[in-house]
Amino acid sequence: MSSLSDIGNLMHLYLDEISPGEGTTAPDFLIQAAANLLNQSGGRNWIPVIVQETNKDQYQVIGNSFIYAVAEAANLERVWCIIADSSEETVKITQVLAGETVPQINLSIASRDEIMAALQYLIEQPGSVLKGVKLAVVTNRLEAAPRQYWKTLEPIASLKCGITKGKKLDALKQVFYLSPQSMPEVVKDPAILNSLTTDELKKMAKTRGFTGYAKMKKADLVELLCQ
Amino acid sequence: MPSINLSATLQSIPHNAQEPIVDQFFATRLLEALGFNQGEVYPQYESGAGPVDYAARKNVEDNVFLNTKSNPYLLVELKGRDINLAEDSASYKNTVTQLRRYLLASNCKTAQWGIITNSIHIQLFRKHDRVIHPATPCLKLDSDNIDDTVALIKQKLDQPTKALIVAVYNNKGGVGKTTTTINLASILSLFGKKVLVIDFDPNQQDLTSSIGLPLSEGDVYQSLVNKNVDIRSAMQAYTFRHKQTGKEFGFDVIPADKTLVDADEKDIRQLLKSHALHQKLNSLAADYDYVLIDSPPNWRFYSQQAVYAADVVLIPAKHNNLFSLENAATAIKQFIPETQRARGDGGPIALPIFFNGEKTTPSQQEAAHQAINNIIRQAKREGFDLLRYFYPRYTNANRDYYVFEVPSYAHIANAAFSRTPAVYCNKTAFEYYLALAKEYFLQ
Repeated sequence: MSSLSDIGNLMHLYLDEISPGEGTTAPDFLIQAAANLLNQSGGRNWIPVIVQETNKDQYQVIGNSFIYAVAEAANLERVWCIIADSSEETVKITQVLAGETVPQINLSIASRDEIMAALQYLIEQPGSVLKGVKLAVVTNRLEAAPRQYWKTLEPIASLKCGITKGKKLDALKQVFYLSPQSMPEVVKDPAILNSLTTDELKKMAKTRGFTGYAKMKKADLVELLCQ
Repeated sequence: MPSINLSATLQSIPHNAQEPIVDQFFATRLLEALGFNQGEVYPQYESGAGPVDYAARKNVEDNVFLNTKSNPYLLVELKGRDINLAEDSASYKNTVTQLRRYLLASNCKTAQWGIITNSIHIQLFRKHDRVIHPATPCLKLDSDNIDDTVALIKQKLDQPTKALIVAVYNNKGGVGKTTTTINLASILSLFGKKVLVIDFDPNQQDLTSSIGLPLSEGDVYQSLVNKNVDIRSAMQAYTFRHKQTGKEFGFDVIPADKTLVDADEKDIRQLLKSHALHQKLNSLAADYDYVLIDSPPNWRFYSQQAVYAADVVLIPAKHNNLFSLENAATAIKQFIPETQRARGDGGPIALPIFFNGEKTTPSQQEAAHQAINNIIRQAKREGFDLLRYFYPRYTNANRDYYVFEVPSYAHIANAAFSRTPAVYCNKTAFEYYLALAKEYFLQ
């Protein structure tokens, strides 16, 4: 890295050269009270704002936007910042480390402990829509489900574990993402077959060369494909 | 096979050698002495939770471990001589935690053994499904004993025992020992594990009667006092047929023995040594994946036998019962170490406690935490660190007060009326005991 680059440096930047980015949703009380305290304690923000350089002398906040808001309320002329590089990953990890966004885990390959911890986090959130959902039950079902093939989280709704379509399923989208494997051509595990739609099962029956499946019901299709 | 002389190797290691030097002088020779040759050892193996110093597995035909790097059998975590691995030192605890993390990581599901060593101390750990317990004490190496010590470890690696012996114990009554034993056995058997359950509470006999089996008429007693009587003669099979699929599940049971009720404890002690049950179970260890022992709520003859025989002790407690927590602490501070000293092979160890009980409200949970914190503080003054037994996820930076819980419902207790384990006839019970089995045992 060139010695002329500012990346990684702690710098005392002019507030009006920094655009706030997404801003913070912190309550006004916290911002005002913190601003008062900051002014009384010498006006130095020991925890820096994390910014990236967008243009010459132009910066944008990517993390610790609460501190930016406090500096603004305290009428500081300059604020201490760390200059980060401008990659997408840096923005993502910075926001996670600053506690501003919730990190997600890959449900396609996550371990039982990871799934359980993620669900427990959601359930214990104040005002969580998942109150009353049984942690042990959802964990058991999710762990056993053929989630490596899921393309969306929709199949969770049919696991009969108290997670229904709508608010509850949407809540799970905060913490899980998927990187699905493609389904192998021959699947014989009834648990996986049951998680597919009738149409998908019929397609599978076609590629495997079965006949007479056109009018079958799902249960019969599963039985046929199990062989 | 030429025997490898490690005592010379040990003497050649510089006094204060750091990890790279211990690695160079000692590690390969040790693995060689344990029977792993070139092509069977992989350094800096990616466990899935960071690289472990060595992983090893015997080559099977053309499956060369060095090339496939799949299914390791043994992991070795190496330290320098500047890291103190004497038991109870802080660095020992950190190293054990590190090894546990590697053993449980995604690429090491097949690993059955872990070794920590800095060439001054060495300790072997066994992994059975998810349970990791010491297979030797933390041994001090010197040039006189090293060859014997390594031979002992090699013997364990070459002839692994199949079964994990679990004593379910708390010297407070009514915390759900019998319910836990029976339902855990049922779940494990549903997952294809071969399970033996021992009702070692002859005064209560609840386990035997809860699944409708007859009591033993002296067979258990005979097999314990008489060297030549096989304990299999006292065994009974419990089977359960699933109504829809017609599949049969079940486990073997050694029922409570009537004659032991009337027998005077003093008389029994004259005939039976403290390792009697332990010895009898050794002959069965090759036939089962799990042996679960239900023990009485006291610290007298039967519970002492059960804990002595065990690899690990599972301690149910109740969040709303202070005595069950205090007694759990007493077992961990006093009874289990006492047994460890008598056995001298590092076992048994306690698993983290879990709560068995009615639904908790936040204020009750708070009260339980207070009580546990007091117990932990009290133990710390006596020189015991109980933290990991009560809050297994707690670290210095992350104050996680997680304790596993099985909520008790009326139907779990009611299942006794139908003489069937609750998990076989009730969905909710099934889910909760499955979670228990997954938390502690199944991987």
